[in-house]
Amino acid sequence: MNFYRSFRTTLSRFRPSRTLARAAFSLACLSSALGCSSRRVELDPGVLVVLPSQSATWIRNFNPFLSSQSRWPAVGGIYEPLLIYNAATGDYVPWLAESYEFSEDNLTLRFQLRKGVEWSDGKPFTARDVIFTFELVKKHKALDQNALWSKLRAVEQKGEHEVLVHFQEPFVPALFFVGESPIVAEHIWKDVSDPITFRDETPVGTGPFTEVGSFKTQVYEMRKNPRYWQKGKPKIDALRVPAFPGNEQASLALLRGEIDWAALFIPAIDRIFVEKNPEHHGYQFARVEGTVMLYPNHLRGPLGDVRVRKAISHAIDRELIVRIAMQGYTEPADATGLSDLYAKYKDPTVLTEGGDFTIYDPEKAARLLDEAGLRLGTGKFRTLPDGSPWNLDISCVVGWSDWIIAGQIITKNLRALGINATLRTYDFGAYYQRLQTGDFDVAISWSTTGGPSLYTYYQRQMSTETVLPLGESAAHNWQRFGSPEADRLLAELARTSDFEEEKRLSRELQLEFVRHAPALPLFPGPAWGEYVSTRITGFPTQENPYAPLAPYRSPGFLLTLLELQPRTATPAKAQ
Amino acid sequence: MRYLLRRLGFYLLALWVSLTLNFLIPRLAPGDPASALQARFQGRLEPTALEAMKEVFGYTDAPLWVQYFSYLKSLFQGELGLSIAYFPASVSEVIGSALLWTMFLAGTSVILSFTLGSLLGLVAAWKRGGVLDSVAPPAFILLGAFPYFWLAMLLLFGLGFLGGWFPVRHAYSDHLTPSFTWEFIVSAVHHAILPALSIVLASLGGWMLSMRNTMIGVLAEDYITMAQAKGLSPFRVMFHYAARNALLPNITGFGMALGFVLSGSLLTEIVFSYPGQGYLLFQAVKSQDFPLMQGLFLAITVAVLAANWLVDIAYVFLDPRTRR
Repeated sequence: MNFYRSFRTTLSRFRPSRTLARAAFSLACLSSALGCSSRRVELDPGVLVVLPSQSATWIRNFNPFLSSQSRWPAVGGIYEPLLIYNAATGDYVPWLAESYEFSEDNLTLRFQLRKGVEWSDGKPFTARDVIFTFELVKKHKALDQNALWSKLRAVEQKGEHEVLVHFQEPFVPALFFVGESPIVAEHIWKDVSDPITFRDETPVGTGPFTEVGSFKTQVYEMRKNPRYWQKGKPKIDALRVPAFPGNEQASLALLRGEIDWAALFIPAIDRIFVEKNPEHHGYQFARVEGTVMLYPNHLRGPLGDVRVRKAISHAIDRELIVRIAMQGYTEPADATGLSDLYAKYKDPTVLTEGGDFTIYDPEKAARLLDEAGLRLGTGKFRTLPDGSPWNLDISCVVGWSDWIIAGQIITKNLRALGINATLRTYDFGAYYQRLQTGDFDVAISWSTTGGPSLYTYYQRQMSTETVLPLGESAAHNWQRFGSPEADRLLAELARTSDFEEEKRLSRELQLEFVRHAPALPLFPGPAWGEYVSTRITGFPTQENPYAPLAPYRSPGFLLTLLELQPRTATPAKAQ
Repeated sequence: MRYLLRRLGFYLLALWVSLTLNFLIPRLAPGDPASALQARFQGRLEPTALEAMKEVFGYTDAPLWVQYFSYLKSLFQGELGLSIAYFPASVSEVIGSALLWTMFLAGTSVILSFTLGSLLGLVAAWKRGGVLDSVAPPAFILLGAFPYFWLAMLLLFGLGFLGGWFPVRHAYSDHLTPSFTWEFIVSAVHHAILPALSIVLASLGGWMLSMRNTMIGVLAEDYITMAQAKGLSPFRVMFHYAARNALLPNITGFGMALGFVLSGSLLTEIVFSYPGQGYLLFQAVKSQDFPLMQGLFLAITVAVLAANWLVDIAYVFLDPRTRR
């Protein structure tokens, strides 16, 4: 039932401390004003310095299964998947599989594997490895992070280069999870006694960067796989990944050109970063992460009433939130709550058919609240229909500054409307427990995505299967809303692999979502990515966004990584 | 000797109490290990996978006292469990990666700053009203009162970024591998100068002022006048008569500071991207990594208690009254 990997936005990992970042930048600006010459550490031209995430120390672990724990680029760069979904184009790129197709009844997914692929130790890559990987995940439940085997029946080998994946019932959205699973080598992993705690310190993979050059707690280097199956690639020789515990140091290093590719939050990025060297500095904050939402608890007070939910939504000034809390790096969400990841299925006509509740309109909000019986009496605040006081607590996480600023704006908006709203911040653990058990009035939180199909996204927002009683810990659907109509549409969507039919059902689902407003979308989460192209070229640019730039989006970063190359014309090299 | 043994007994009791608190506090805090795990995996774990992960970490629903005894047992075996934030590395390994650097950087700076501060305080009090006495304490107190972060950034920016005399990050050059070679040691010391300087500058004033103030009190004592009347050299009076007594309160403070070295210096580590315990602790608290937190607190507790015991021993030598 619950099935997907959620691309819980990596916001939490890259959550910056704004004031510190600003301090760092004012220093950085000062330095360029003083005409400080940046002294570069001399690097080989073929070395790419990447900062996919921040940490004080690196632990040597290339096990790709517990993906949040493995060192970059284990998922993708060492262990490649069958397919890679390119969020920039909306297409699947055939990778270790040359092609895929669903059977007529959508019960079987057939992969035709690429021939001539070798593991980095010289052994050939075959269908046996794919079968082994899926069986391994089946055997160790902790590795099955997407609960894939709740939908799969069996995996079957057909000859050396063909794999059949059988489902218990037709389930097309699984393509993403099966396709993007990292594939490991049978001849290595069959001798691993505990693949969960296995560190995989010297990995053997099919990917472009499999050789560990050096590994120290403060920096490590990956060298290219000489047997890589894409001829002439990778064009760079090595990846260097330094450890930075803080945003400030990392940003300074990026500005000095010591980092070529990074995922950082940089305030006022156009002025501080791009303008310093418009030719070589660039960024891409693609809106492809989950949408940040305000979740109303449908079982608390008057929030079960759709008029009240829509009123709250109308009261929120999203333009202001995006400008102040997100520095303008994203845009206000529309009523469907779909980010650009779903561009293929998004239907703009839905917004005119009832999908208007994300438009800032305090007057309409007041009218809706009055209609729902939540009137301003003689007191300062609106009361419940029976005259008792109505308090609305907004839950948020301590230290997540962008959400807290958003929460403050929402509180102000709601108070202006006569709602007694209070922002409450909790430690993540306490916050998450409250969220899961339904112990909140409204809460700011992420929404989870799972590949390009709308199935996962809306299943987690509206399916009756995901509704648990208050007090029980729910992995999704914290607002506790279930719609039988959505169930029917979702079931149909899971069964079809026909694009036109998918589009029709997706539209119906969007209509169902805007009809009930089960959660109130605030803004789509951006995926952070910056580049400095003085040494290395080929990054996706604003003009040519061929793939997402964010280096931490595994395995999608591979599409970018393989296009990069050292700048050939080295201007008058010293010595 | 009886005195030292009695103190040792007291420290053992204190150790037991802190171990117990160390066990209880994370379990009384809001949020449970399961949600900590879930947080670590950023909500990606499906419930079935989460259950399996809990088994890997050894989370049980056993009664508290059973957990308590298995906790004590594994402590004595040196088993600190697996870290959540750095899974699948063990807690001892994670702490080990940062421990030496912390001891090197923070230990050296505390010793430096204590020695320098006490000496300056001594001289300032001896030449009361002199140039050193009127300029240095306010200057250092002012430096110490600056937000530390700002001071460190300024040093980094001035001496590292603009001047280029010192490296701006990490504990040693990225091109070297840790080893006992001359090149590596030079690189490590070179990298430690800026962060150490920032810590010394920020803490010097405190040592100096407290030394100076006790020293002034001691200098008014009769036995100082007596020593001077006997015609002893000023040097002997200053160090053997005055400083020895004035140092006692500072020694206590030094013991505490030395013990807390293991808690690391978070801000230094962040500003200079220096590996160390402070950032680990911060990370552990942030990601609710209970095993790592427990391990770190254990290390800090043991260090504080051990340092205090050493101070007690030092007292025996400095203060004859404790020798009885």
